Amino acid sequence: MKIVVAYKWAADPQEATVAADGQVDFSRAKSAVSDYDAVAITVARHLGDTHGADVVGLTVGGPEVATGLATKAALSRGLDALMVVADPALTAAGSTGTAQALATALAGVDDIAVLITGDSSVDVGAKLVPAVVGGLLGWPVLTEVTAVAIEPGALVVERAVSGGTEQLRIDGPAVLAVATDAATVKAPGMKDVLAAAKKPVQQLPADPVVADGTLRSTARLSGPARRGIQISTDDPAAAAAELVSALRADGVLIGGQQ
Amino acid sequence: MSAEPDFDVIVVGAGVAGCITAYQLAGRGLSVALIDRGETPGAKNLSGGVLYTHPLQQVFPDFLQTAPIERRISRNQICFLNQDSSVAIDYRDARLDRDGTAVSVLRGRLDPWLAERCEDAGVLVMPGVRVDSLLIEDGRVVGVVAGEDELRARVTVAADGVNSFLARDAGLRPAPQPHQLAVGVKAVVQLPSDIIEARFGVDALEGAAIAVVGDCTRGVGGGGFIYTNQGSISVGVVLRLDDLTAKGLRSTEVFDGFLDHPYTERLLRGGELLEYGCHLVAEGGQAMVGELVHHGLVIVGDAAGMTINTGLTVRGMDLAAGAAIAAAVGVAEAIETGDVTAAGLAGYPKALAAGFVGQDLQTYARAPKFLENPRMYESYGPLLADALHQVFGLDGSARKPLRRVAMDALKGSGIGVGTIVKDAWQGARAL
Repeated sequence: MKIVVAYKWAADPQEATVAADGQVDFSRAKSAVSDYDAVAITVARHLGDTHGADVVGLTVGGPEVATGLATKAALSRGLDALMVVADPALTAAGSTGTAQALATALAGVDDIAVLITGDSSVDVGAKLVPAVVGGLLGWPVLTEVTAVAIEPGALVVERAVSGGTEQLRIDGPAVLAVATDAATVKAPGMKDVLAAAKKPVQQLPADPVVADGTLRSTARLSGPARRGIQISTDDPAAAAAELVSALRADGVLIGGQQ
Repeated sequence: MSAEPDFDVIVVGAGVAGCITAYQLAGRGLSVALIDRGETPGAKNLSGGVLYTHPLQQVFPDFLQTAPIERRISRNQICFLNQDSSVAIDYRDARLDRDGTAVSVLRGRLDPWLAERCEDAGVLVMPGVRVDSLLIEDGRVVGVVAGEDELRARVTVAADGVNSFLARDAGLRPAPQPHQLAVGVKAVVQLPSDIIEARFGVDALEGAAIAVVGDCTRGVGGGGFIYTNQGSISVGVVLRLDDLTAKGLRSTEVFDGFLDHPYTERLLRGGELLEYGCHLVAEGGQAMVGELVHHGLVIVGDAAGMTINTGLTVRGMDLAAGAAIAAAVGVAEAIETGDVTAAGLAGYPKALAAGFVGQDLQTYARAPKFLENPRMYESYGPLLADALHQVFGLDGSARKPLRRVAMDALKGSGIGVGTIVKDAWQGARAL
């Protein structure tokens, strides 16, 4: 029995810069295992330990996803093995192309109990890939998953819904996108990195990548217009009072204490 | 009885010194782990700077072709900056471009490249791990501790930078003195390549480095620097900590003053601020280089205080690389003979002393003392500008012969001829 975790080697948004005109520049941002996917790996690891199952990572992307740095970063988070589809054509793949590549790779793996993914990628955040993979495989898809247990031939899943949680029982494999707070992620230690260097990494060939049609940006990114409130900081006390009243006027601050 | 080591060598810190030590030792067939606290090596590194490439070219013959260098520095300026005037010496040489003698680098790009070369050579690179302390048993360093984990090695290499908490916390190095430290404040400002090339008068791929003395530090011992990257300009000040404190100034206000100075503003105009930060800089020169080896431990690079500031050239990275080459020799010898005591590791300080690092540290041993001379930062800039104003500032008054001009400017500055001769002599001896 295998638990597969799909993760993205994604540019870290904390290192992206936002220009004055609102353009986001990721070109100087370094990549890492996408934050929410680290949650997915942690959930999968617990599940694997509980049920004695192998936890296998799967990622698709450009050549950089197959570097030692990238594979060790993923493996050191507790995966037993890794499957990697690295191809230059996947660098700019959209949700459809990425999901297609993931589904193709999964089709060659036997005995999968469940595919676990993160809530969304930190760099794009479209929340689409798990659903498209599920659609391509013909598996049910659940999002906002907070807990999973495996029973013979079935999964017992807890997920957050508005107003509470629900528990569901699914026969056969499924795609589960875990909630961002489904597990607490621990930073890998030296022994984890050491162990990661000895774990198997399987490189799979990439099928021709499915293009997501031609997407072209036709208007510049625009956000809500700034109203041009300016507060002079010459007198810090007065500036603080002015800031508070501006925030109050916008409904950001509520409650007593005028 | 100690447990069997996990590695022959553990290197802490994936900067220039750490990477090159690790790379060379792996190349000698030893098992090496390279640990860095940054998620990717270089992530915590603010630096960048002008790198003198010869030791890098020695280790990586293809360095100039394959490393992520920004520009080949073919133009060097030394500028005395006053409030309303500046006097510069401008040195440009095609040989510098041809040989790639000095290049500008951004460490956020260089360090990952170095770490990748290490990985290719068989080093186990461990990013994102913060080493808490050295693992010490019976007075011997036997590895490192990070969180709940211990890793053991025959030899540990401390390449953890200017603060080197590892060696200091273990009581193996004294804390640096305030006059041996400076605080560097730096910004990286983005500008299109063609504008950089026009403003600095260089061709594509070529670059300029300007060392600035005087008003840029408001008279605090230290200096300013401006150098060109491919699509950005690095600008900053280095301020001696003791002098900064004595003058009651804050590093950020000094730096802001430098950025606002018309001289600097003209070069940076229209640029977009990409990075801003500050860092400690070792300035002690040879006096700061302490014990380099202990039982099971060697210290390299900034961690060992290896920097040279001559006022004209500020060097750290090339010395780090040179030290790494020497350390690799010493560590490999010690492991081969099975003697990793301080005596067994003595091949490192020996190789260091015989190489350019030891020789240059010796040559410039007097430089830090000389550069503490306040006249360097307060008096000579205005003196030069006053003398030149007498030459170029034609206003209808009768001209005086040049020797009189010089003497008048001298008188106006309040510096005696004797003092100048003395400073010149000390400068000649120190530099």
